[in-house]
Amino acid sequence: MVTVTFDKVRKAFGATVAIPGLDLAIASGEFVSLLGPSGCGKTTTLRMLAGLEQPTAGQIFIGDKTVNNLAPSERDIAMVFQSYALYPHMSVRENIAYPLRKRGVPKAARPAMVKAAADLLQLGPLLDRKPRQLSGGQQQRVALGRALVREPKVFLLDEPLSNLDAKLRAHMRAELIELHRRLGKTMVYVTHDQLEAMTMSTRIAVMQGGILQQFATPAEIYHRPANTFVAGFIGTPSMTLADGEIMMDQGRPVLKLGTLTLDLPPDHLNERPDGVRRVTVAVRPEDIIIGAGAISGSVRLVEPTGHESIVLVNVGDVGFTVRVAGDTVVTAGETIPLDLRRERIHVFDRETGRRLNADRAAAADPVRSRLAV
Amino acid sequence: MTCRRAEAASAAFDQPSHSEPPMTISASQHQTRNPLERRYALLGVALIAPTVLILCAVIVYPLVSAIYLSLFSIYTPTLKGSWVGLDNYVQVFGSSGFWNALGTTVIWTVGTLLLQIVFGVAMALLLNQNILFRSLARSLVLFPYFLSTVVAVLIWRWLFNDLYGILSHLLIQLGVVDMPVDWLGKMPNAMESIIFVGAWKFFPFVVIAVLARLQTIPEQLYEAATIDGAGVFGRFFDVTLPQLKDVLTIVILLRTIWDFKEFDLIYLLTGGGPVNSTRTLPLIVYQQAFGLNQMGIAATYAVAMMLVMLAFMLIYLYRARRQAA
Amino acid sequence: MIAARRSTTILANLVTWSLVFLISFPLIWMVVTSLRPQTELFQIPPTVIPRSITFEHYVKLLVETPFLRYFLNSMILATSTTIVVVVVGTLGAYSLVRFSYRGRETLAALVLFTYLLPSVVLIIPLYLMMVKLGLANTLTSLVIAYTTFALPYALWLLRSFMAGVPEDLESAALVDGASRIGAFVDVILPQALPGIISTALFTFILAWNEYLYALVMVNSDQARPLTTGVMNMLITSFNIEWSLLMAASVMMSIPLIIIFAFLQSYLTRGFGAGGVKG
Repeated sequence: MVTVTFDKVRKAFGATVAIPGLDLAIASGEFVSLLGPSGCGKTTTLRMLAGLEQPTAGQIFIGDKTVNNLAPSERDIAMVFQSYALYPHMSVRENIAYPLRKRGVPKAARPAMVKAAADLLQLGPLLDRKPRQLSGGQQQRVALGRALVREPKVFLLDEPLSNLDAKLRAHMRAELIELHRRLGKTMVYVTHDQLEAMTMSTRIAVMQGGILQQFATPAEIYHRPANTFVAGFIGTPSMTLADGEIMMDQGRPVLKLGTLTLDLPPDHLNERPDGVRRVTVAVRPEDIIIGAGAISGSVRLVEPTGHESIVLVNVGDVGFTVRVAGDTVVTAGETIPLDLRRERIHVFDRETGRRLNADRAAAADPVRSRLAV
Repeated sequence: MTCRRAEAASAAFDQPSHSEPPMTISASQHQTRNPLERRYALLGVALIAPTVLILCAVIVYPLVSAIYLSLFSIYTPTLKGSWVGLDNYVQVFGSSGFWNALGTTVIWTVGTLLLQIVFGVAMALLLNQNILFRSLARSLVLFPYFLSTVVAVLIWRWLFNDLYGILSHLLIQLGVVDMPVDWLGKMPNAMESIIFVGAWKFFPFVVIAVLARLQTIPEQLYEAATIDGAGVFGRFFDVTLPQLKDVLTIVILLRTIWDFKEFDLIYLLTGGGPVNSTRTLPLIVYQQAFGLNQMGIAATYAVAMMLVMLAFMLIYLYRARRQAA
Repeated sequence: MIAARRSTTILANLVTWSLVFLISFPLIWMVVTSLRPQTELFQIPPTVIPRSITFEHYVKLLVETPFLRYFLNSMILATSTTIVVVVVGTLGAYSLVRFSYRGRETLAALVLFTYLLPSVVLIIPLYLMMVKLGLANTLTSLVIAYTTFALPYALWLLRSFMAGVPEDLESAALVDGASRIGAFVDVILPQALPGIISTALFTFILAWNEYLYALVMVNSDQARPLTTGVMNMLITSFNIEWSLLMAASVMMSIPLIIIFAFLQSYLTRGFGAGGVKG
């Protein structure tokens, strides 16, 4: 089985350090997304795995073999590029057959393998066309076909869907998920789109500034973000983030957020603060309830999106983003009662951004049960 | 490459976990520690090796040779020479021949450059319009540039011919002159002629470069100018010319260098005459080497010419850097 | 407003085509002269429109003069130079664009610099070198000499053409299993082919038209190319035979005419890539 491991991998371009040190262990057959904003190092990481960039230090393993000194052609990987990188002067058929040609697959065996890949992606009628005669979605599938035809150990995908329109993107997401399910291969997927990462991955590696922020299942990342960056990056609309303080009051942690004082459950944090602890606090829009509660807020803005509305509510200095059902009647300027689900408040150390919640047994992934990792 | 550098430039999230000391980056900015990278680098060097070898053999070595030769006095037919040190340079820089030739070269260069630029830009502006059979017109305009200098010179000498040349004939017909004009045998005609023929031959270079640039100027700029009230001249000076500045700078620089070192055209058209009045520096080099059989002196002239060009280029670079600052 | 627009276009057309005619007139005159019978040629005053057309000068050129030998020499010379320069240049350009090694940038800058050197400086040492190598008076010496200006120029052109091939294509080929050379042959060469053809055409024309080196290096009719051959052949005779010269001029320009007629897009593409040698 094929695992992918990054061991203390470092990448510097001259004097600028892009990736200070990456440790990442991807299990066999996983679909791992490298997720983060542009410039976070995810593409560099993928290219190092492919052999298109060389790490300055550290080792990269495919299986238990270190691949640092292997050329891309020697690593038994396949890659789909953001630009598809189809060979313009070759037909679709020749494009797909190219990897077979280069690996010395006997001529007689090639047509069958090309046909298999083409059938898998419904490329049959397009086989004799040139790439410039294809639409974006078709080109993307050819790129996939070229990657699949050889059945390599690891699949690398570099933002393959970002050049497609929204509808096609949704369709291709489903196809990719289906493909992964069918083939069971290890896939490493780079994207800046959290929706893609959340729906397709077994685990997500969130990166920022060249540093791995969190590597966990989508559910874990959503419900237990490891730091303020992950908390703010995942979820649309974003979580409300606010600075506050925590102190102990008769054995219970108390949170002060501007004018708000909130009692937290006694075992909410994994360490008891002595004195006043400065924190950053985050709450998901769906964890704030409007219409009942001890907190009074004034509605600043209502954005109806049909099946739900996004409401911005001010409580003192803090602006909360709240998600409500579409038929709720709220108007700007109103004063409304609201409450926060205390057990869903995420607390982070203000200086380090580290998560302070005491999370007990991992919640079951409600969406899909993938491979147990 | 830039996007990846931007990745690095964005502030890193401070993680206290790593205790290893920061890796020192070696002095060479390229990471050649990795064997794969080393393999690639070697391949790269191997691919450029033939080029480097050839250029060293035919350019670097002769260049150094030329400087070395200029320190000798060499008799061309026998190729026997004796050391004279810097005597050649003293002789050259002290001779009126050198300074006259330099002056002639400057006059020729400036003259033909001016015509090339003016005609070139004008023609480019015209060809940018919607002309009937525009590509044919463009081809015909381009042709003189790719023509062999020999052919160009033959044609023009035929046109300039005093007895049978059509030019003199036409001028007489039009009543401008009553005698055939001596285009090449008399000054200032000779200089004017070579300047003009040079312009005819080389201005298409300007046309193509400028035309390519003109075609990328967005129509909206002109529309905005028209709305603001600019007429034809206004649009040219306020919209077109600023856009052309970059192209023209490069074009002028290249053409100046190439016109300055032009040999074929002038040698074949006038041979430097009448009486050395169109003898430019390249011609003097040739004459010294193969006419007067003084190879050492010829080399000296060549090196002197290079020094002059170097001086001009340095002045230009200095100015350019001053302006950029 | 529309009438004014149309009249400016008519005016523009008139002015442009008059100018084009004036610019092309010398070329037209060349062709006309070459087709004029000898008797008509030496009329004073000369007439503009010929009364009859003859090919006698062309025939005389081919039959009675070494013109064909010169033509053949030029063909061999230009073709050899082009092949050498394009092959070496393509590999070199690939190296400069897609590899990184110490000194690469300096090399690129130096190549650019050599492009600006006057040939006058180089002719003397090169002449001596050829004599020493025993190559004086041969076409080989000219091929070597021509690389001094053809190679830097070709490198400059090829570099920009190669840089225009998307990096992703090469990366994809590498991942698919190609070696770097394999990727070069399978992907980069086909993509850069129009640029390579463009460079080859420019190099051919440069070599075909070169005069000074041919003048200095070669003295015998056996090895003379067209440029020096034609000048030598016809101007040494007491009477300058202009009709023959004009016929020779037309014939000398045949490759150029062919290129212009059928391959012009390649030429203009080359201009875009980085300027042409004067």
